[in-house]
Amino acid sequence: MDWVAWARGNTDPDEAGWKAEALKDVLVLDLSYGSFAGLFTGSLFSEMGARVIKIEPPEGDIARKMTPFGEFIQGTGLPYLVEGRNKEHVTLDIQSAAGKEILLRLVRKADVLIETFAPSAMESMGLGYAALKAINPRLVYVSLNSYGQKGELSDKARKAGWRCYDIIAQALSGFVSTTGIPETMTDFPEHTRVPTRMGNWMGWYAGGAYAGLAVMAALYFREVSGSGQFIDMSPADALMCLNNYALHFYHLTGKAIERPANIEPAAHPYCYVRCKDGMIFLAGYADPNWKALCTIIDRMDLVETYASVKDRTDPIKAIEIIKEIEKFTLDHTRDELVAIWLAYKGPGVTVAGEILKPDETVKLEHWYERRSLVKIQEQPWGDLMLQGAPVKMTETPPRLKWVCREIGADNEFVYLDLLGMPKSRLDELAGEGVL
Amino acid sequence: MLNAAMEEIFSKGEALKGVRILDITRIILGPWASTLLAELGAEVVHVEIPGAGDLLIRAVGPQGQFPRNLSPGMMCASANKYYIALDMHKPEGIELIRKLAASSDIIMENFKAGTFDKWGIGYRQMKEIKPDIIYLSMQGFGNWGSLSSRPSYDAYAQGISGLAEITGFPDAMGVKSSAWIGDFLSGTLAAFYTLAALYHRKKTGVGQFIDLSQAEVLMRCMDWTWLYGYLKGKRRERFGNWDMAVVPSCIVKTTDGFVALGAFSEPEYEGLCRSMGREDLLEFRAIEKRLVEAERIYKAIDGWAAGRKSSDILEAGERNGYSVARVMNVEAIYHSEHFNERQTVWKFDDPLWGDLCYPMALHLEDTPGRIRWSMRPVGFDNEYVLRKLLGYSAREIQSLYDEQVIGRWNPQMVFSGPPPDWDGQQGLLFKE
Repeated sequence: MDWVAWARGNTDPDEAGWKAEALKDVLVLDLSYGSFAGLFTGSLFSEMGARVIKIEPPEGDIARKMTPFGEFIQGTGLPYLVEGRNKEHVTLDIQSAAGKEILLRLVRKADVLIETFAPSAMESMGLGYAALKAINPRLVYVSLNSYGQKGELSDKARKAGWRCYDIIAQALSGFVSTTGIPETMTDFPEHTRVPTRMGNWMGWYAGGAYAGLAVMAALYFREVSGSGQFIDMSPADALMCLNNYALHFYHLTGKAIERPANIEPAAHPYCYVRCKDGMIFLAGYADPNWKALCTIIDRMDLVETYASVKDRTDPIKAIEIIKEIEKFTLDHTRDELVAIWLAYKGPGVTVAGEILKPDETVKLEHWYERRSLVKIQEQPWGDLMLQGAPVKMTETPPRLKWVCREIGADNEFVYLDLLGMPKSRLDELAGEGVL
Repeated sequence: MLNAAMEEIFSKGEALKGVRILDITRIILGPWASTLLAELGAEVVHVEIPGAGDLLIRAVGPQGQFPRNLSPGMMCASANKYYIALDMHKPEGIELIRKLAASSDIIMENFKAGTFDKWGIGYRQMKEIKPDIIYLSMQGFGNWGSLSSRPSYDAYAQGISGLAEITGFPDAMGVKSSAWIGDFLSGTLAAFYTLAALYHRKKTGVGQFIDLSQAEVLMRCMDWTWLYGYLKGKRRERFGNWDMAVVPSCIVKTTDGFVALGAFSEPEYEGLCRSMGREDLLEFRAIEKRLVEAERIYKAIDGWAAGRKSSDILEAGERNGYSVARVMNVEAIYHSEHFNERQTVWKFDDPLWGDLCYPMALHLEDTPGRIRWSMRPVGFDNEYVLRKLLGYSAREIQSLYDEQVIGRWNPQMVFSGPPPDWDGQQGLLFKE
């Protein structure tokens, strides 16, 4: 059988419901608060079959209120609806004596605990790793905070109560310093030539991905050792590890990598340039390929002016080159340019690809075929479209079972199922403000 | 350079000790996935072609710089691996791959979809050799689907996913991450999914095939972009350094630099307003009000910060309980007390290259991640891998060299070889 047909047939996301789940014996308590790093970690586990119990204070996780332009559905923000998937949502006031006692009973049964409070906040509630290890030595306990659980900034964060924000991870990691338009691109307004945050929550998502990996390694090791462990995961540390060779190169040369806008300092052109209706990606950096690019834009003079790779990757000349190329591309649309590049049959290889805006990205059928974008209708939220998992697996495919639940929606089931608590007791606790 | 903290780390166990990975990956995405697992203790055999090796990444250095013959592009996605170089276009080379696969737990590759199947070393054939193998294939768009035949570059994935167009200022242009974030983030998630499969195998004995798409990873991590577009029929725009869903959470320019601050809960927001001397903004204490008045609030914060020193804003954050951080560049990170104390800045002596520095985020208390060594020259560990893992004799290895089935670096290409002053022995793990 043809490979593609085999791969498609054996990883078809629509068949996932018939298959096993890799983490079905894993119970996760997600105590994250106001942090999509914690929520994403929980989502990774819930998509792979773990039972994830999202524990919120009685008024709800403040992350439910993080939403663009105040867009809410039934009181819950859009990002929380994206990361509420497959989780059971319960409430518990872990600061009250009764709430703490209930949490400890849940911890006895849990495999993983995720928390994102300020450093040591859990300790001060009597819920630090040492205390929980004493009642469940098999627990894997991950603390997510960009200031980390130790170090100079962590000490400050402990005193000041600093929290796990995306923006802090982006700033501390060095990522903001290497993203954005440099001072030297004077065509752009001054206030835009500054270190720039990634538009998405890159710090939170990198931290969540790293936490997922670290917890998974700890669970695997537990199969050998029989013991859980503590993980100090800083989204700032995580994002720093994803920032190319910045740190390695600084140590070797004493040179700091600066923000280069859309230019690659090691190979040029391998960049974005502007055109009539947006931007395109262009590659043509080795000598013969540079010549091909110059041929297409009918600027053979540039071949001589910027003759070597060294010339072209010079930070000042690199910007000049962009300006020269844009003299051509600004007169054309993205579609026209891609067609022009495809029509080139001469020597050398040069590539053009369209840069899309999100409302254009969603028009590609590919994402729907692979269920990486999924339309789903669920009460009380209505008609939604969410990201599916970015991976297909033959034996234990990840899946999206339900979108989210309202605050405390699973109290009755979870507390009965895990702790045998009758409805009458839950009503009492609700009356006392614990649930 | 082994300090007390590193000594303690090396005294502890490794989570993935005993897990063997056959890593036939290129550029960054695949090599990064296997590097993370190698940092956690897996034994990773990294395969390249003799001569140039993985040229597309080895040749990457800013403005063509290769300090000490190190490739900056390659070293940042290389740690703790064994480097073997063999010719997969020869039947004997394929035979070696099969032998290595037979004793491996995991195979990773990121060649064009279907290539390995055609060469007889795809998942279907490897499963015959090693029935419980976990086989991870990493692609721009996955192994199937209408875009799956398109080649992918990190910059293209950042572009087609829409990520670049939501980053940057509205009155300038979309900006991509200068980091190869499509590769690095995908490699990180690939490592997670691989471990989930390994866990499943531990419980059931069953391996599997995993198909990961780089563009889909970026889209997965673009938070509210898709749901917002679907519900409102509007495109997500760029908002510069303002986070429109967490108000306020922003980067501000001060008289002497840039500072990040976040003040979302009511007490934090009140602390910020007090620091700013803007009690009038307490009108927007309620989060719901702030989200719709975001622009007004951000303009007030930007204006306040513009006339102040970074340290004033940082100290006010300490006093008044809103979260703050300096925007750090690599120089500040390298020298920071904080990151050095955490061992996130990992300075070490490489057996081949001398003193190096890596970032390290895998702070697991009982099985901490660690860096032993950096990238290695093409084919540098041929002897170690073939002698120790496959039990070849020195004579058999010599004949593989003679038949050009295996090989070493190309001395004409500095980034493929050892340091300029290499003595022929230093750094070798198996000396004949």
